Amino acid sequence: MNFETFQERVLPVKNKLYRFALRLTGSQEEAKDVVQEVFIRVWNGRDQMQEIQNMEAWCMRITRNLSLDRVRSMNRKQAQPLEESYNVRHEELTPHETTELHESMNRVSQLMAALPEKQRQVMHLRDVEGYSYNEICDLLALDMNQVKVNLFRARNAVREKLMQLNAYGL
Amino acid sequence: MDSDKIKDLLERYWNCETTLEEEQWLRDFFNSNEVPQSLQQEAQLFQYLKQQQNVKLSDLNFEQKLKQKLQPKEGKVRSLLMTGMKLAAGISVVVASFWLVRQELNKEQPEEVVDTYNDPQKAFEETKRALQLISKNFGKAQKASTNINLINEATEKLQKENKKADS
Repeated sequence: MNFETFQERVLPVKNKLYRFALRLTGSQEEAKDVVQEVFIRVWNGRDQMQEIQNMEAWCMRITRNLSLDRVRSMNRKQAQPLEESYNVRHEELTPHETTELHESMNRVSQLMAALPEKQRQVMHLRDVEGYSYNEICDLLALDMNQVKVNLFRARNAVREKLMQLNAYGL
Repeated sequence: MDSDKIKDLLERYWNCETTLEEEQWLRDFFNSNEVPQSLQQEAQLFQYLKQQQNVKLSDLNFEQKLKQKLQPKEGKVRSLLMTGMKLAAGISVVVASFWLVRQELNKEQPEEVVDTYNDPQKAFEETKRALQLISKNFGKAQKASTNINLINEATEKLQKENKKADS
């Protein structure tokens, strides 16, 4: 496999890998590093690639392992607020509404970051990346029941927290 | 879609009973401008999820940097060349300093006697000539010294005769 083939077949998943790594590490820099390392590993193992059926799943699994390694070695809490700019396209919003939207995005981001690791992974893969239950089982090496339980708990934890926050008028 | 159907769909979403298509529909719906006031709370989550789907690795140099890491051939050749050149420079410095030190030492010591003739016959003749020159000069010196001896003998004779006359 030459670099051009690699560019066509493997590089397009970079945004998916980046989002997953960002969800797990909570740091844009770490996430970028992880994605780079994933591609280096895939490149070095490109000889075995003919045998690999699902390139994307393979990349996602490496991303998950590397991200979790980093989180452990950083030994810091993941529940750091993600300071991002939320480019939501609502052209008719007033500056006040834009600020409000930004704040509500930040709130949900923090709620998801506060979820236990497995729940966070399952919810991200289902609700952001749109993977099927079977694919999530394969990616995370969990059985169907565990995937569904984790997803149920994650969604409902976020829902409850949102209701609490809104009840206090935030 | 009326709000009862949406609420029903949401309920199934919380219970993890929705399909992928229905979930995408929810995200799209809550990002439209027709969200009822009663569903604003849920809207926050789906707006966030939809926004997260568009997050991109926004590093323009990412692919370039990656390419450099994946194809380090040029770099390798260059670094090998650099190492070779450094090695060559080091060796030449050592050789040059040896040569200079030798030059200095040679200057301090007297030059060694070296052969001036390659042909032994010529060397022999030249040596003979040199020896003959020496012997000729020795002969001259001998003649001169006989004259001095005559004077000495004459002086001794005179002294002896003077002593006899005194006694």
